[in-house]
Amino acid sequence: MRTTERAATAPHGRTTGAGRLLITVYAIFAVSATARAGYQIATQFADAPVAYLLSAFAAVVYIVATIALAKPGHRWALVATAAICVELLGVLVVGALSVFDPAAFPHATVWSMFGRGYGFVPLLLPIIGLIWLYRHRDAK
Amino acid sequence: MTVDGWFIAGAIVGVASTIVCFVAAVMKKKPNDITILALAAVELFILVYAVASAIRLAGPGSLVGEAWEFWGYMFTAAMLPVAGFYWAMMERTHWSNYVMGAVGVTVAVMVARMAQIWYGTAAQMPAAAHALLPLQLGLGL
Repeated sequence: MRTTERAATAPHGRTTGAGRLLITVYAIFAVSATARAGYQIATQFADAPVAYLLSAFAAVVYIVATIALAKPGHRWALVATAAICVELLGVLVVGALSVFDPAAFPHATVWSMFGRGYGFVPLLLPIIGLIWLYRHRDAK
Repeated sequence: MTVDGWFIAGAIVGVASTIVCFVAAVMKKKPNDITILALAAVELFILVYAVASAIRLAGPGSLVGEAWEFWGYMFTAAMLPVAGFYWAMMERTHWSNYVMGAVGVTVAVMVARMAQIWYGTAAQMPAAAHALLPLQLGLGL
């Protein structure tokens, strides 16, 4: 009862309020990562198949995270947490590899150089996302 | 990237729209006429830019990059204010203004990328525009 009353006055849930801004930013990244991966694969796939498959993988992760963040319910929260953990792992591993072994990643992906090409938002986004999910975790 | 009037106008409209929406959000205001008009200005700019680009290309204008890439950006940029408005209006809180504010700056970055496609990345560019380059969204270099 208390939760429904609160929802009527000011939204406090995972998919409301500031959560909708988080979903917006994830959606922008889902669209841009998908467009980028699609473009790379359509025009220059033979140049660097691994990097471009990684771009496509990043795009899928952003799409899953966006949908899971937007859907209410415990299961979707778990899906969102898993997707965002993969995203964080991806940006850290790819970011580190691109810094210490640039030869392995001559072609840019969203996560190269910790997302420098995107103003480091790809590095901040999963951290903010996980904090958001933790603060709105289920009591059960 | 050559900085032309279209890029300057797009950057000003986009960033100004973001500032208006963010200021309203910080003031804990729900979306009002001012922030919605700020978002509409972004849409209006993209529509004018699209029509003008079509006219320029129909005439002696030239596009260095790929046409489908340019128009892909144009279409996405035109959809962003619509999607942002829809998403913001589904739940009208002061957070909706942050959502609408995210549109303007994104479109500004996309207009920068469109200028690159139009003139080619090899074209000369002022030092100030170099600072913007790392922020480009989407299709990369």
